[in-house]
Amino acid sequence: MALKLTLAGRTHLVEIVRRRPRLVLSIDGREHEIAAAGEGGDGRNSLEIGGDSLHFVRAQVGDSQLVHLKGRGYEVGWVDPQAEIADAGADHDEVKSPMPGRVVSVSRIAGDRVLRGETVATIESMKLQMSLPAPRDGRIAAILRAEGDAVEKDEAVARLEALSPGS
Amino acid sequence: MTDPAVTALATPSRTKAPLFRKVMIANRGEIVCRIARTLRQLSIPSLAIFHDAEAGAAHTRVTDEAVEIQGETPVAAHLDARQIIVAAVKAGADAIHPGYGFLSENAAFARAVAEAGLTFIGPDADVIALMGDKISARAFAERHGAPVAPSAVSEGHIDAFIAAAAGIGFPLLIKAAAGGGGKGMKIVRSQEELADAARSAASEALRYFADGRIYAELYVERPRHIEVQVLGDGQGEAVHLFERECSVQRRFQKIIEEAPAPNLPRETRERMLDSAVRLTRAARYRNAGTIEFILAPDGRFFFLEMNTRLQVEHPVTEMITGVDLVRAQVEIAAGQGLPFRQSEIAPRGVAIECRICAEDPERDFLPEIGVVRYLAKPEAPYLRFENALDAHQKVTADFDSMLAKLVAHSETRDAAIGRSIAALRELVIVGVRTNTEYLARVLAHPAFRAGDLHTGFLAEHAQELKSIPPDERTRDHVLIAAALGLRDFREVAFGAPEPHATIGRWRN
Repeated sequence: MALKLTLAGRTHLVEIVRRRPRLVLSIDGREHEIAAAGEGGDGRNSLEIGGDSLHFVRAQVGDSQLVHLKGRGYEVGWVDPQAEIADAGADHDEVKSPMPGRVVSVSRIAGDRVLRGETVATIESMKLQMSLPAPRDGRIAAILRAEGDAVEKDEAVARLEALSPGS
Repeated sequence: MTDPAVTALATPSRTKAPLFRKVMIANRGEIVCRIARTLRQLSIPSLAIFHDAEAGAAHTRVTDEAVEIQGETPVAAHLDARQIIVAAVKAGADAIHPGYGFLSENAAFARAVAEAGLTFIGPDADVIALMGDKISARAFAERHGAPVAPSAVSEGHIDAFIAAAAGIGFPLLIKAAAGGGGKGMKIVRSQEELADAARSAASEALRYFADGRIYAELYVERPRHIEVQVLGDGQGEAVHLFERECSVQRRFQKIIEEAPAPNLPRETRERMLDSAVRLTRAARYRNAGTIEFILAPDGRFFFLEMNTRLQVEHPVTEMITGVDLVRAQVEIAAGQGLPFRQSEIAPRGVAIECRICAEDPERDFLPEIGVVRYLAKPEAPYLRFENALDAHQKVTADFDSMLAKLVAHSETRDAAIGRSIAALRELVIVGVRTNTEYLARVLAHPAFRAGDLHTGFLAEHAQELKSIPPDERTRDHVLIAAALGLRDFREVAFGAPEPHATIGRWRN
């Protein structure tokens, strides 16, 4: 079973091709020989892959590995195969706050029809206001946060349900 | 900062008693570290303040003392003028440096500090009030010969304002009279949009500043934002320290500033500097201050506002002049007058400041939060990395998203750009998304290198400034580095004798 990692919204498969004499990994079918695998854990580190010597910084935050390489930062997600099955589709039903902040206004009520992109609520975070759009067409199933409420990052402010046929 | 002429000007006198007994720095973050550095050079004991949420933060460790202030939120605590003054008196401070933001341009605070018998390291409360209100500041500037853009003010009914604004012509800029930082600011391009924009600006102004007055002015297309650093002694004498270019902005807030302004005709520069000094003298201004101008492509320029405090971007001026502006502020506040005559300073080279912010340029610069998991700060004799960052520090939504400032100096603009880009690549902040890579792309852009700047620069070049995905090989390398950071994967790759037995289910 391959390890599934995500980077910039795409999923990649990492497989161990062989371990001896040297570790060879395959990324989406491309094979790479690891001449030196560096240390485990967080912090400054180095690797030798093929003929390339890489110096990078790595830190694990939750399910993600943050990698800083050649002046650029990357967030590599790890896909839990079980959660992947359980979560399928659930995300699309929630209007989430991308930042911790406070709800300034709620422009819809439960039962309203909304089109994808229409503003459901407005939050304020770090002195900036931002609109939270509906992620898809649908009907507001529930408003979960009221004006003045504090919200955490990725907390749902409203939940959508599918439009019933004919409505 | 090593120009011999300037060093001679700024050499501390070691024999005299310190100018103040103790100075409270009523602020937080990098600016506290910056001010504390100069106070230490002046042998003046320093005092920081902090809210419980900032306990142990870098800005509380660089001062000689730190006192806790209470508040429902950290920001509320930092805005609690009365509590801060009481704390200063109790700790035996005889002066308060307000830094920038928070209470730095609050006339009531300046007045209360003076009434408590302390020295406010800034201008008089009346001058702050005069310049803090965009309408009175403009009228003052106009009276003293600074060019101002045609405008309209909402004094009474909003309909009268709408009619007057329409008379200026389009496009128009509508702003909150008491505002700053882009809040309540709107560009109106036609008569049809005007009424709605005016009403919404007025309500936003009321919400942010508890003052619903707004004003409209001619909107200059492709304007440059250029500001002049001044020092006034409060007796009517003033000098300038040349100008700064601050046109590279997102969300109406600066992210890259430089000094001097590139491609500025000599004659325009002279008129701007002259205008700024004249205003500073007329206001009998005391302290370091900044006069902001809008420069039109045709060479006309208009007074925008005066900031009656130290600016975020003051280091670029310090690096080209060799003058320590904080030191000048302290000396002027202590009644020592201006530290030099105009003829004694000359600019040398070019300095560029990049504001490192916790934000995502790919998502409209929305603020980001997180915990700093790894930190590597760039270092070089020609660099100033102004920050109060710690490894393992939490970056929350409690405060502004600016984490640090990276300022680089060199003899030429090209070389200063090169040094800035190299330093941005050297800076590693892992754990919080920042605009570091974006800043490097802006600096490397041909239009930036050409000095072809205006306040719409980032919007105009948005497409070319987008992050380019890494090539396949780099992407594979990143994925391998990440995979080898997963303990279970590592164990299977190197440890267990029989991989197929354990490889069934990865755990993080």
